[in-house]
Amino acid sequence: MDVRLHVMRTLLDTGRAPTVPETAEGLGLDVDEVSGRYRELAESHAIELRPGTLEIWMAHPLSAEPTPFVATVDGRDHFANCIWDGLGTVAMLGGTGSVRTACPDCDDSLQADVVQRELAGEPEGVVHFAIPASRWYDDIGDT
Amino acid sequence: MQLFRSEEHVRRWCEERGREPGAVFGLDRMWSLADAWYHDRLSEDFRRRTPDEAEALFDSIGLTGDAWRLSR
Repeated sequence: MDVRLHVMRTLLDTGRAPTVPETAEGLGLDVDEVSGRYRELAESHAIELRPGTLEIWMAHPLSAEPTPFVATVDGRDHFANCIWDGLGTVAMLGGTGSVRTACPDCDDSLQADVVQRELAGEPEGVVHFAIPASRWYDDIGDT
Repeated sequence: MQLFRSEEHVRRWCEERGREPGAVFGLDRMWSLADAWYHDRLSEDFRRRTPDEAEALFDSIGLTGDAWRLSR
């Protein structure tokens, strides 16, 4: 298993992202090699690191910290980074599940259910992309 | 990328923050994008799309215009 998949699987299984030493130990790799791989993955935006560290903040579509976007698949909750990533988590895990969040304006709960890769019913809500695609990674937390 | 109750809620939220509204669309389109973008993320063969491939995907599900161009 490569470093990216190890990070994803650990986050899915435990709810927390592995540190560099944990990934090195888990995969039998050198710490420096794993550090370099974390940086490469961050440069390609497969993962996002907390600024100035090698601590994983996001491993798209998953978040390593609690967020307002909770994807539930097979009875397990996973934090996602946004509504795109919430639905992406369902897609990544087989295409059946739900995403819960709250309207940023009124704080009412909103939910989207997906069954066998089809959106179920006519869920309430509209998606808002505030940032143009060319600037998504200028401030990924705001995006 | 957030989910609002309606376009009216988007407009009010943006106004209160002095921000211009961005792209607004339905959950059906969001699901199409999320599924296409992430369904293979746990595959060993996963490869990130090039900017041109990503823009082609956006176009294919009707996400067009300057907001969906990856080059500045």
